[in-house]
Amino acid sequence: MSSETKVRVTRQFNASPERVFDAWLDPDRAGKWLFATPTGEMVRVEIDARVGGSFVFVDRRDGDDVEHTGEYLEIDRPRRLVFTFRVPKYSQESTRVIIDIVPREGGCELTLTHENVPPDYLSRNEAGWTRILDMLAETLG
Amino acid sequence: MMAKQSELDQTLMALADPTRRAILHRLSEGESRVTELARPFAISLNSVSKHIRVLERAHLVRRRRAGREHLLSLNPEPLDEAVAWIEAQRAIWVARLDSLDDLLQAEEHSASTPKQKGNPQ
Repeated sequence: MSSETKVRVTRQFNASPERVFDAWLDPDRAGKWLFATPTGEMVRVEIDARVGGSFVFVDRRDGDDVEHTGEYLEIDRPRRLVFTFRVPKYSQESTRVIIDIVPREGGCELTLTHENVPPDYLSRNEAGWTRILDMLAETLG
Repeated sequence: MMAKQSELDQTLMALADPTRRAILHRLSEGESRVTELARPFAISLNSVSKHIRVLERAHLVRRRRAGREHLLSLNPEPLDEAVAWIEAQRAIWVARLDSLDDLLQAEEHSASTPKQKGNPQ
């Protein structure tokens, strides 16, 4: 059963498209930000950066290992990256993430589209909520 | 909590179809009879009724009876929850991309700091 739930985020970076693109596929760098949480510890990052290759990120949250996994569908450096994405702990449903990067004056603009996001990701993901609340607190001062 | 989740599931599922979104759009302009509602659509009254039932199960559409007529109206409350959820999902990615930006800036900073000769990179 597929729903068309899409989440889209656009963001500017003062870095070249190549640097931004590579930060998604280089295990050392991706492990620092991609599925990391402020209170969690990234204990395992495996990236097989080719079409059909898979990735695993394991973030330890309060002693609980949360695995983020998926498979690369398109790798077109530095323009486009498409991968499936699943957090088996929260949902068996596979979702799709599409990254489009276009050069801009002084850097680039990245548009992320997360398709088919299952609702239970967030409602059961306290780490996600915590992060959002932290962000809100920051925004509201 | 589980009930909350399945409600959100139902809302998102109900919203995932263009015909159902068009029905909601029409109802946002005011109450309507089923037959009126079905008229602009190039599908059978029966199919429209099925879509309406999905919307009713998701509590997006309310039905009241006036004599022999069934009148439908929009209930926007579940929409607010769906919007809040989508916003929350966006916030997670915004936070991740903030972290990416921090990482890139930190790299930029360390690259522009003069390095010791022979420092392995």
